[in-house]
Amino acid sequence: MFEYAIEVHDLTKKFGHFTAVDHVSFTVSRGEIFGFLGANGAGKSTTIRMLCGLLEPTSGSGKVGGYDINSEPELVKKSIGYMSQRFSLYEDLTVEENIRFFGGVYGLSSGKIKERIGWVVGMAGLQGREKSLAKTLSGGWKQRLALGCAVLHEPRILFLDEPTSGVDPVSRRRFWELINELSEQGITILVTTHYLDEAEYCNDLTLINAGRLIASGSPKQLKANHITYSILEVETTNPVAAMDLLRNQPWVIEISLFGTYLHVGVDDEERRKEAIRSILASTGIQIRRMERIVPSLEDVFLRLLEQDSKKRAA
Amino acid sequence: MKTIYYIIVKEFLQLRRDRRMFGLSFMAPVIQLMLLGYAATTDIKDIPVLVYDQDRTSRSREFINQFVNSGYFVVEEEAHSLNEIDRSIEDGHVWMALVIPTDFSNDLLALRQTKVQLLADGSDANSANISIGYALQIINTYSRSIVAEILKRSPQLQQPARVTPEIRVWYNPELKSRNFMVPGVLAMVLMIITTTLTSLAIVKEKEIGTLEQLMVTPIKPYQLIVGKLLPFVIIGGLDVVLVILVARFWFDVPLRGSVTLLLALSGLFVLTTLGLGLFVSTISKTQQQAMMTAQFFFFMPFLYLSGFAFPIENMPRVIQYLTYLIPLRYFIVIIRGVFLKGVGIAELWPQAIPLWIFGLAILTLSVLRFRKRLG
Amino acid sequence: MIVKRIRPVVIKEFRQIRRDPRSLIVLLVFPGLLVLFIGYALNFDVKHISFAAFDQDKTSTSREFIRSFSNTEYFDFNYSVESYREVDALLDEGKALIAIVIPTNFSKNLLGGRDAAIQLLVDGANSNTATTAISYASAIIQTYSTKLASKVLARSGREVYLPIDFRPKIWYNPELLTAKFLVPGLIGFLLMLSAVISTSLSVVKEKERGTMEQIMVSPLHTIEVTLGKTLSYLILALLASALVLVVGFLFFDISIRGSLFWLYTGILIFLLGALGQGLLISTIAQTQQVAFMISVFSSLLPALLLSGFVFPIRSMPIVLQVISNLMPAKFFLVVLRSVILKGAGLSAFWDQLVFMAVFAAGMITISSMRLLRKAE
Repeated sequence: MFEYAIEVHDLTKKFGHFTAVDHVSFTVSRGEIFGFLGANGAGKSTTIRMLCGLLEPTSGSGKVGGYDINSEPELVKKSIGYMSQRFSLYEDLTVEENIRFFGGVYGLSSGKIKERIGWVVGMAGLQGREKSLAKTLSGGWKQRLALGCAVLHEPRILFLDEPTSGVDPVSRRRFWELINELSEQGITILVTTHYLDEAEYCNDLTLINAGRLIASGSPKQLKANHITYSILEVETTNPVAAMDLLRNQPWVIEISLFGTYLHVGVDDEERRKEAIRSILASTGIQIRRMERIVPSLEDVFLRLLEQDSKKRAA
Repeated sequence: MKTIYYIIVKEFLQLRRDRRMFGLSFMAPVIQLMLLGYAATTDIKDIPVLVYDQDRTSRSREFINQFVNSGYFVVEEEAHSLNEIDRSIEDGHVWMALVIPTDFSNDLLALRQTKVQLLADGSDANSANISIGYALQIINTYSRSIVAEILKRSPQLQQPARVTPEIRVWYNPELKSRNFMVPGVLAMVLMIITTTLTSLAIVKEKEIGTLEQLMVTPIKPYQLIVGKLLPFVIIGGLDVVLVILVARFWFDVPLRGSVTLLLALSGLFVLTTLGLGLFVSTISKTQQQAMMTAQFFFFMPFLYLSGFAFPIENMPRVIQYLTYLIPLRYFIVIIRGVFLKGVGIAELWPQAIPLWIFGLAILTLSVLRFRKRLG
Repeated sequence: MIVKRIRPVVIKEFRQIRRDPRSLIVLLVFPGLLVLFIGYALNFDVKHISFAAFDQDKTSTSREFIRSFSNTEYFDFNYSVESYREVDALLDEGKALIAIVIPTNFSKNLLGGRDAAIQLLVDGANSNTATTAISYASAIIQTYSTKLASKVLARSGREVYLPIDFRPKIWYNPELLTAKFLVPGLIGFLLMLSAVISTSLSVVKEKERGTMEQIMVSPLHTIEVTLGKTLSYLILALLASALVLVVGFLFFDISIRGSLFWLYTGILIFLLGALGQGLLISTIAQTQQVAFMISVFSSLLPALLLSGFVFPIRSMPIVLQVISNLMPAKFFLVVLRSVILKGAGLSAFWDQLVFMAVFAAGMITISSMRLLRKAE
């Protein structure tokens, strides 16, 4: 029996001169929900594809479900489920036909397929729409159907590539409830996403930028390790101007715009609150509210990305 | 095995839903064959001629009538000057001009030789060649009749001995070009349909992303390929029957050989064209690419080099060798052989074997090319 | 105003085309290559016809007779057989196209001043070749008979009387080179094909991807989008046609006798019609598959067979002759041959240009109307 469901060591993928994934290493324990975060083009999909046996790594190694992705890709595929970023079921087949097809391809008996059809329909809330063509389904339903098809054969490991992109918030919620349910059944799930609020739902996270791993750990750990300063949320009458004014202050560790609020990272909460008040007052910008907040993952990641960019530029 | 079954089911479901495509697969070959079977004719008749008769005697008119009565020529215009000739040929109103000199009948009466001029539009080389051939025959026959007349009047002259050919045409006694062309069109149409359908089969899934999903499953390459091809084999097979029926009963092209043999070899041919389409599918990234590739790399060269319209024997040696690589070439020989000549496998095996080899080779190549990896 | 708005569409099309190098090569280079290849390969001339001789006479006369065939470049003496069964086999297998059967009393008859009959068995499957072969054979036999007659008559001091001296003169293409006949037609054929297919596919692809809606929602008029797409492929096709003409000149000695201006006017109008046809197809087809099928079947085979490119229209059933008037390729071919080979002036083909223009206008109008209707 293996300890880790997924083990990745120095995984690298180059397309010509372009390095999409640069010596990435991480591990995922069984039953975990592992989040893979990063901007678009950071290398998330490429990594997932390598782990699924869809892409051949340029160098490095990985083990999924105990099978080597370089030498045993077909065995890997037998034990995983995969949901790709774009909807990749057959739009000109009905819900039922899609399930039946993939069930058949996975080698399930017809009795089992029937059972799974019932399960997927129930899970996805598609009762009454079994005979609808897949292309008539809207975003959220499509995603759930795709998820269902990915787990027809009850795999132990699930790879989800941006499963909720382009889906409404309510559906996103619902989808994550499903992921949690699956996780409770002991299934290991690796999710890539660029939605930082979803990152909070994961047991463990890894942040990728331009092909390289920047940070990893649980959400709590990340917040604790990387935000050692206070973050003040400031609501003003002119946020953009305020940001310009404060940005160059030497005691400002970091500053960013969150909607219309400013998040200002400072070393000393009380002293800097005063400083901010006076600076903004001098230009006539009014402060409606200023208080310390609990740092969110977004704060963490923005910080990390900024640090990494600086490191690269150097 | 069961995996293949599921793929076939899926393919048929999809096909059934794309009504237009489904209908086209059957209608298109039949309609094409019907339309083109009529058009593909090399029989030349009603050749438009301009006559410039400078003699204007009963003799010269009798001469002109030889052309008209042959059924090959039609006198479109009568000219009164040489300039008119230039214009007419240039404008394409006539293909040839016949110029009869002023002393035509006088010369003939005096047993002198008279010179008749024929001006032909060479821009359509084939028609010109054949038209001149007909004209030559007519003039020769007329010449002989004149000589015979003369000899009749002076029986002391000896009629020189001639070699007289008794011409017997086999397989196509009325020399109907349709009998030659229709089987060829049949082969062409069959190939286009089957190759087109399969060339898009895999590429489409590549383009819409479902191929990725399939590659993540335990499916094996040969299972996917067989599953995808089988429905098209069935459609292709039905098409074969349809077009053979049209050729036989609509165009009355005689089917002298064994129907079973024809069906069997047609099936073999369909397999090679399916393989070809499949191969195109594996080397293309988008449907557009696949179709352009099929079009320009295969259909067009095959059209010209397979012996369909242009005889291979007339091509430069180098190119003749090249045509051995074209599966259509073999099938055209087969189909014309079975229809018109009534030959059997004993004569056709040199055609069947290469088809067999080609089919196997291309299918194996496609399976090898298709690996369950992206990029 | 319109021009400015079309520019982004044209630029986008070009960018997309540039990124797909295979398509670019196919659209630009291939027509030229194909013309080269095909013009070189194809020949209607019938030469080196394989024949078999069943000589039952076996005299010097009969052998001389056979030589009169094999000495020409038209016939190759490949098989000497001793039975009808062998003749059957050779014809069945396609190894010989003609079999000459010379009876036992051949030379006896001829020397005795009597007509001698021989048998010509011809494989009639390819009627074109057969007809030509028969006329060559007849001519050779004729010549042989005349030579015989001269010999006989010469003994009594007389000459053969050939009443009519027949001199055919061939214009525009004196050596009756098939290439000169085919290459102009090939230009039309290839251009039409790529034009129709590429436009129909290009639009349908956007439809499938959903990007068409994106464009239609923008301030761009649908017609402008249509024109923009058409324009880019038009430019490509014009370039390709120039390349083809160069190939024709370099390799087949086909120089343009007539006016280059009218040639390109003709090409332009024709292309517009073909592109319009492609557009119309794209409004009918929902998937690329269907678009391609319709394109191929409405341009490849019909343009080849119904336009007078290979088979003369006059020989076709009346119905088809009428239908052929719907093919812009037919008119285009006349223009091409008139200008390139004949060097004819406008009067020879102005009506063809008009027909093509009408076709083009019709296609583009109908497709635009359909596109507009879909947008609503």
